[in-house]
Amino acid sequence: MADFNVGLRDAGSVSIVELKGYLDAHTAPELENVFNKLIQENKYKVVVNFDQLNYISSAGLGVFMAYVETMRENNGDIKFANLKENVYNIFDLLGFPLLYEFYQDENEAINKFNELSKS
Amino acid sequence: MELKNIIKLARSRSLENAVFVSVLLLIYNFIFPIHSNPFILLINEALVFFMIFFIYNYISPYTELRKDTPLSLVLNAGILGAIVFFIISLANSAFGDGNSIQSNTGAVNTLFITVSNYIFIIVLTYIFSTFRTLYYLRQKKDQSLYFNTMLFFFVVTFFSEFANSNSSLDFIHDAFYIVTIVLISLNSLKVSWIAFLTKKQKLYLLLISIILSILFGFNFGLLNESSVIKMILFKLSVGLYSVFSLVMIYGMIYFGVIFFTTLFHLPTAEAFDRRSEEISSLMDLTKLITQVFDFKELADSIINFTTKICNSNAAWLVTIGEEGIEVNAVNNIGYVEARRAAELFLKDSVNGVYSITNAHEIDDQFNFRTVAVAPLNVHSKLSGYLFTARYGEVDFDKDEKNTLQTYADYASVALENAKLIAESIEKERLEKELDVARDVQRKILPVMFPVSDKYELTALFIPAFEVGGDYYDFFELSDNRLGFIVADVSGKGISAAFIMAELKGIFESLAKIINSPTQLLIKANEILKDSLDKKNFVTAVYGILDYQKGVVKIARAGHTPIIYCSGGKTSRLLPKGIGLGLDYSDKFDNSLEELQINLKQGDLFVIYSDGIPEAKNSRNEDFGYDRFERIISSNCSKNLEGITNEIVKEITLFSKDNTQHDDITLVIVRWSK
Repeated sequence: MADFNVGLRDAGSVSIVELKGYLDAHTAPELENVFNKLIQENKYKVVVNFDQLNYISSAGLGVFMAYVETMRENNGDIKFANLKENVYNIFDLLGFPLLYEFYQDENEAINKFNELSKS
Repeated sequence: MELKNIIKLARSRSLENAVFVSVLLLIYNFIFPIHSNPFILLINEALVFFMIFFIYNYISPYTELRKDTPLSLVLNAGILGAIVFFIISLANSAFGDGNSIQSNTGAVNTLFITVSNYIFIIVLTYIFSTFRTLYYLRQKKDQSLYFNTMLFFFVVTFFSEFANSNSSLDFIHDAFYIVTIVLISLNSLKVSWIAFLTKKQKLYLLLISIILSILFGFNFGLLNESSVIKMILFKLSVGLYSVFSLVMIYGMIYFGVIFFTTLFHLPTAEAFDRRSEEISSLMDLTKLITQVFDFKELADSIINFTTKICNSNAAWLVTIGEEGIEVNAVNNIGYVEARRAAELFLKDSVNGVYSITNAHEIDDQFNFRTVAVAPLNVHSKLSGYLFTARYGEVDFDKDEKNTLQTYADYASVALENAKLIAESIEKERLEKELDVARDVQRKILPVMFPVSDKYELTALFIPAFEVGGDYYDFFELSDNRLGFIVADVSGKGISAAFIMAELKGIFESLAKIINSPTQLLIKANEILKDSLDKKNFVTAVYGILDYQKGVVKIARAGHTPIIYCSGGKTSRLLPKGIGLGLDYSDKFDNSLEELQINLKQGDLFVIYSDGIPEAKNSRNEDFGYDRFERIISSNCSKNLEGITNEIVKEITLFSKDNTQHDDITLVIVRWSK
């Protein structure tokens, strides 16, 4: 039932994590592995692309909470992009937009990172 | 049928019968010391025959009992053979030609002769019974026909001696005698049990059998020459002498055959030893499968056997997990070396067992010079490898590799079983944990609700199988106030239940001292900082109803919208606020918004967990907020129980073919003047 996929690609110094399917307690460890890998490789600038993600549970949300601190401490961040409305509503209800940056499009998020590193 | 019963009865009382016949025989010989009359002779022979028959029946079960230790049987027969040898030798020197025995008819002489014959008979039957037991050892087919034919000719030879003494029909007796010897020779070839001895036992048997063959040969020769023993035997029974010499011949031939067979088996003895070691190791492994369920212990035992069956010095077992190769058990090799070897010598392209013995590939960093690898397959899925290595540069031969593979196949099944059992134990443990969590949850949620004519309240809680962290409570506060809380801890099971318990403590105590929902949530967030994991959070709605004044103050921390029904119209209240545990800085404190509403008669608040809007139907669609709000809107004026029932009915209908994934909590508060 739980089909879930994580893709990882680079856009310059920014890493794009692509999510697909259902992110819940059973599939969250997969995403955790990706974040662990990024930290190992000292990649702290992360944009998560939610384009293909249909559902996120509280366990899925927890993954971002667990890693955002490390990213920010290393001059990076986790930024969210391309969220479907129902997925965004879940984040919104919890107040995530006050703590994380959300973008309509992945490129906006990448640009934001690039602007910051230029200035 | 009757005959069979008689035989059965005769057999079951062999000892009594033997004693009876022997006493009878003794008395008979007192009366007739000289058997000149053929009729007297015949009765005498028959008595001797029955005595042998009963003693044989009595003794053979005892030799049969020891069929698992053929060497000790052989040794026993040998000792008896040696005793016979000494008796014959001593008798020759003690009695000279023995003519006096032949002619003497005195009672003492008769007693002496009869008793010494009894001893001979017992020795004889014991030796013969030993041969019989050895004959039947390790026979796969029923070979009793050959043996019984031989027995028959023994009997015929025994009685033909009687005919011989009476007339000049010598040749009849001789013919039977020779046929019996031929049968003895044929039956002596049944020595397959030798193959199953270990090399050490074979060497031992080789030595003993040659000595015994010569000893029995001597016995036979001495018996022919020594007139004394011949006289003694003849005196009691003419047939006994023939049988005695036949048994001696049997011993000579049989032990001779054993000697040569063992000799020819010696070169293959080592190979046979190894084979039987392999088989017993496989049997031990089978036993282990059913007795040892601990993965580590099983892996240790497996590699200990591996060195034994493969004639190798070291062995180790690796499994392939999510994080690559893992060395599970080692024997005579260090973990580090085993790991390095596993990484170096694994060939993905090769199916099945293979070995490497080459100085190029195995350099000096390893202690061993030869290594063999067998994959561990379960349901045609590779789960690991079994390694074994030799210090010397002697490659594993085909048989050894096959054995290793067979062994690896068994081992992989055993290890898989152990793993499955461990998993099911773990599952059971988790279920127990869930029981505990459910119990905690049940005890935390309130049973008694405050009652007043100024407000009504109701709460519904439907736990999911995997316990969630829903929590609700009501607090009767001073100054006509009522506090109400609905919270949802992220995560499930025992950890969520513990946070719930903490929440109860926090809200219960804070509600008494803080009169502002936002301030209370800020304080709660501060306290939770120490106990919440980074990835866990809590959503909550907290409200304070002043039922005297008809005012509600309400705040929300990341929780689902509050549905407010006033004058038959519903709306969703969504005061701003981040979930508890998402942030511990000013951001959280500043995010919180507090709504204050002046109530009208019959206004009601519906507060609930996300188990309701996220209830799924079979097509995986959400129940949704709109549907939920509609139901409330059309049932607003009903009593609280009616509204609750309506909601439950609709959710049940909607998600009828689907399991409930999350706890469902529904709290309704209504104010009335």
